[in-house]
Amino acid sequence: MKRAEAMYRKLPKKWIINLIFAAVLAILVIYSFQGSHINPIRLRQLPFVIRSFFRGFGNILWPAFFGFGGYDFDESIVYLALETLAIGFFGTLLGAILAIPFGFLAARNIVGKHVAKIGSVLLIIIRVFPEIILAIILVKGLGSGAFTGILVIGLHSVGMLGKLFAEAIDEMDNSSLEALDAVGANGWQKIRYGIIPQMAPLMSSITLYRLDINVRSATILGVVGAGGLGALLTIFSDPPAWPLLATILLAIIVMVLLVDGVSSYLRNKLV
Amino acid sequence: MIKFVDVQKTYPNGVQALKGVSLEIHDGEFVAIIGLSGAGKSTLLRSINKMIAITGGQLFLDDVEISSIKGKGLRMLRRSIGMIFQSFNLVKRMSVYNNVLTGRVAYNPTFKTVFGLFPKADKLLALESLDTMGILDKAFIRADQLSGGQQQRVALARALTQKPKLILADEPVASLDPITTVQVMDDFARINRDLGITIVANMHHVDLALKYATRIIGIKDGLVVFDGKSADINDEILVNIYGRSLKHDELLGE
Amino acid sequence: MAKFTLTNGKIIVKPFNKIWLVLGALIALVILFSYFIPLDLVNFKPDQLPIVLKKMFTPQRNRTWADYFEFIFSLQDLLVLTLQMCYGGTVLGSLLAIPLALLSSKNIVKTKFVYGPARFILNLFRTIPVTILAVLSISMVGSGVLAGIFAMMFFTFGIMAKMLYEVIETIDMNCYEALESTGANKLQSVRFAVLPQVFPVFIGYVMYIFEINVRSSAILSYVGVASLGNVIRENELIGYDRIGGAIIVIFVTSLIVQFLSSAIRRKLQ
Repeated sequence: MKRAEAMYRKLPKKWIINLIFAAVLAILVIYSFQGSHINPIRLRQLPFVIRSFFRGFGNILWPAFFGFGGYDFDESIVYLALETLAIGFFGTLLGAILAIPFGFLAARNIVGKHVAKIGSVLLIIIRVFPEIILAIILVKGLGSGAFTGILVIGLHSVGMLGKLFAEAIDEMDNSSLEALDAVGANGWQKIRYGIIPQMAPLMSSITLYRLDINVRSATILGVVGAGGLGALLTIFSDPPAWPLLATILLAIIVMVLLVDGVSSYLRNKLV
Repeated sequence: MIKFVDVQKTYPNGVQALKGVSLEIHDGEFVAIIGLSGAGKSTLLRSINKMIAITGGQLFLDDVEISSIKGKGLRMLRRSIGMIFQSFNLVKRMSVYNNVLTGRVAYNPTFKTVFGLFPKADKLLALESLDTMGILDKAFIRADQLSGGQQQRVALARALTQKPKLILADEPVASLDPITTVQVMDDFARINRDLGITIVANMHHVDLALKYATRIIGIKDGLVVFDGKSADINDEILVNIYGRSLKHDELLGE
Repeated sequence: MAKFTLTNGKIIVKPFNKIWLVLGALIALVILFSYFIPLDLVNFKPDQLPIVLKKMFTPQRNRTWADYFEFIFSLQDLLVLTLQMCYGGTVLGSLLAIPLALLSSKNIVKTKFVYGPARFILNLFRTIPVTILAVLSISMVGSGVLAGIFAMMFFTFGIMAKMLYEVIETIDMNCYEALESTGANKLQSVRFAVLPQVFPVFIGYVMYIFEINVRSSAILSYVGVASLGNVIRENELIGYDRIGGAIIVIFVTSLIVQFLSSAIRRKLQ
């Protein structure tokens, strides 16, 4: 009994540290609200705003959506949504193709520890560079439009795709390569029969995952001029034209859910 | 035929795996190499097709010294030597048929093999090898969906497709259950007897080695301590090879 | 489809290789989608790029390098503002996501009537782009830090909930069952069996989403939330070098956040 009591006294008072941690985090959160002021006028309008948001959904502008009755198909929301989808698709494709060599360059079991370290630092820089900033620079430098959007998404995706590809290559199973060596295969044959059968499904799965994210990026990038639905959003945001915003939102939700569904389904079939 | 003349292998980390091995293996023999793990069995086997390069002595394959062979010559050499691995080493996501076909990659130009354009004769050969191993009906199934014994048979089919004169086997049955083990060993015996292919196999199970091989080589600490017919082995020699009496798992039992 | 006849007379048929289907579908998609990409190279002027880059990263309009760096330092207030928003939004959003994630996990709630709607709400929040959330927040609370925090909070809420429930569904349920068998109720079982397993991954996700939010803060200024992005919008005429300065600040901050978060994640392993 005495021993247990002695042990009890010796129990590390971890809860104090946890409490301090939580307190610091909470204080920082409260601090983060500093400088904001609640506008009493806005607050009174709040229920009205929420109601107009929901009513916007009731008034979806179907003509603008589908492109009839005064709206050209080329101007319709559906067209823009498909354009956004196309930007995401081609951007991801471009990124995946460019990421393959990068992935190999950052894989320790292919190029050795030092080159791989350089490769992964390079990938980190590409990955961390904010996509929007890249979009702004490229729009200013290359002109606005869908094509620029594709370049932005493609270049930015190389970062994340390259990193995930490198990780997949690092964890590759080498036993089949050993057998191919014993059979007398040369380098190209080893790639074709040893590396590709393992890596292709895995890399396709990673790329599909990225497609999901990129389509969402594509909607936002339009805000800075890279084509797609984003451009419309800025125009109708200040002051907010709820019916039109709701229309755009509907298109975005449908598109993203579709891509998400297809991507998950295909990824399940690949594994 | 294979001739070792005072072959040594020292690894870069200083470990001396082979300390001077001399032996001769003739065509058509079924040789089993036995010994403790780490005694040098794997090194010995892999030096034959130069998966491991020796650091001393000479190794002759059909009277050609192999230490200077590299690049394309090495691949020519390897294509007529089949190798069977303990973990099968198949390409898991490919079909059985495609796995067996890879046995012919060194017989065809790179361009064609990379695009999967094998000549019809090669494709027929692959299918016939599968038939010889009794698994033709599994030809178009993904390799990792087969059982262990079946996968090792696919590996054997791949080796046969190379039309080899020699098959090296590194603990080919160590991952298999007792019944499948006997089936695969029977396959080895059949290939050796009916097709005249030389077989050199590292065996973990001593009683299997004694039963199937015509010649036993015992390795201890990088040196050959026994080289003779399996009928000549007795318990005293085994104690010498293993340094102790055999453990339970070194016998398959029946 | 290919037919082979072996020497012993057996006939075998090789089935169709599905790879061709996949490639065909891919090519079809490429053709389909290119309809929507107007290759109007009228707008595409690649020769502008080096000029723009030079304008951004060297002083313009009689300013000196000293001015350039002084400007960068003057941005620190805006930087703090941006970080405040990201922090508040990420932490609050993550905390709020926990209950929703739990409600969406098949292994915790088991009935489709609960996790079905929960996942639907989650998907809704996840698919709405952060810009629209910002617009929503602005109209509710006026532009400013608060709107930014709310926008990021809702955004974080969506993706954190999804990532979290995917993790929760893969954890080892044995200790959860053990706890339930001792008579603990659902909440207690979750607290003691689920949360400890998920905690390190959760922290990792919080850092990951914080990174994303820092990077996307720039775009919020385009819809009216004050942040570093404002510098970009307001300085088109004054000089690209100011824009370049802001870009450097954003990039360096993102790098620091990235390194900090990998370091912390590695320490948690």
